[in-house]
Amino acid sequence: MHIEINYKSGKPAYLQIVEQVQISAASGTLRSGDQLPSIRDLAEQLRINRNTVARAYTELDHLGVTATRHGLGVFIADFANQLSTAARKQLAQEAIDAAIVQARHLDISDEEFMRIAEASLISFNKRRGESK
Amino acid sequence: MNDSKQTDPSLTSAIQNVPALAVEVHDLHCAYGKTEAVRGLNLRVPGGRCYGLFGRNGAGKSTTIKCLLNLLRPQSGDIKVFGLSPQKDDVAVKSRVGYVPEHVSFHPWMTVARVLRYHSAFRLHWNHDLQSQLTACFDLDPKKRVDAMSKGMRSQLALICAVCHEPDLLLLDEPTSGLDPIIRREFLQTVIGAYMDSAPGQKTVLVSTHLIAEWEGLIDEFTIVEKGRARITMQTDKAREHCRRIHARWPGTVPDLPAELGYREPDETEGAARLLTTKYTPEQEDNLRALGAETVEVEPLTLEEIFVATSAMPNEQEGRREL
Repeated sequence: MHIEINYKSGKPAYLQIVEQVQISAASGTLRSGDQLPSIRDLAEQLRINRNTVARAYTELDHLGVTATRHGLGVFIADFANQLSTAARKQLAQEAIDAAIVQARHLDISDEEFMRIAEASLISFNKRRGESK
Repeated sequence: MNDSKQTDPSLTSAIQNVPALAVEVHDLHCAYGKTEAVRGLNLRVPGGRCYGLFGRNGAGKSTTIKCLLNLLRPQSGDIKVFGLSPQKDDVAVKSRVGYVPEHVSFHPWMTVARVLRYHSAFRLHWNHDLQSQLTACFDLDPKKRVDAMSKGMRSQLALICAVCHEPDLLLLDEPTSGLDPIIRREFLQTVIGAYMDSAPGQKTVLVSTHLIAEWEGLIDEFTIVEKGRARITMQTDKAREHCRRIHARWPGTVPDLPAELGYREPDETEGAARLLTTKYTPEQEDNLRALGAETVEVEPLTLEEIFVATSAMPNEQEGRREL
């Protein structure tokens, strides 16, 4: 699992971990039952505070993306079952809203935005097909 | 499935939001002769956190840390370390604190092994495993004399002395400034990690530094100290979310902008304004567009950029500002 913290992104570090794990889980890079690194290992790997990793893991548990098995570690939960349709839609909605805001800032027209989104969807599905 | 949803208790304790205060400083004044180094500083360091004291040289960081250790006697103000007064309960406070000073000095004729034995003799508790682990990790030769060691090696030795009695509070005064980049990495990853991991949620680090980029990922909360006062206090997460530089451009000249949009940074070009805000919301962009801005770009800032940018701001809001 590759996680990268970008201090210039304007996002809290714990949230960046949460989002990257969520994306990995949704894209199939992480599968249900996969184990995440221990708090200590991830903190050392990313050169961040263990409090930050602990907060990210608690949040992931709370969102149902992971399940912490006491004494064993943190595992990717059965993703589809854990997140209700509404919750999943809301997550997607937030990400799409952020992309729209970004596109507006960059002066990208709605038509251009839709073209980019479509192309991304196609290439994403293609990649996912290959990884399966 | 049920028990798998339970959260590891050590995991929750590490992130609880209301830990007891490790350090509480109120209206501290400390002067060297006629020079006032600290002028009404307030500071609250929650337990279990890695707390940054950022400031330029001469801002009063080292003086504050020395007051916490009763190495300097302040003219006035209240200091509590774990609820105790460093002056009245000198031994009780010092027994729970590890300290790495800015300028490390040992007896020059002592060897590494001798320094460690000497320091451990002052302590009721000493973790010998941790000592060997860190000595090996820094590649320090126990037989080497202090006067034959480099500045960096002495800092490493000082750090080992500070953490091996497993203090509840680790005070680091510009700890990485004399170290090369490889050792700095080692220092930050291994030592701070191992120290904070030894009792998750209970070990506190207070570090003074101006090498903020080095500490970017480790700091939970920070105070920017300027001219002996706390200028800005923020949680790192909140700072990342709410500190922004907004670049706005107008077709003609820049209109008068209301102060709540942020501090207007100087040296702007014709028709452009750079606004610095610690309370960013997307509405600010809309407000700027409503004022006729043609383009509005929002730039998130790193901790170091926040430090540099805020030190240029006029100091009309003194004291503690919380977000």
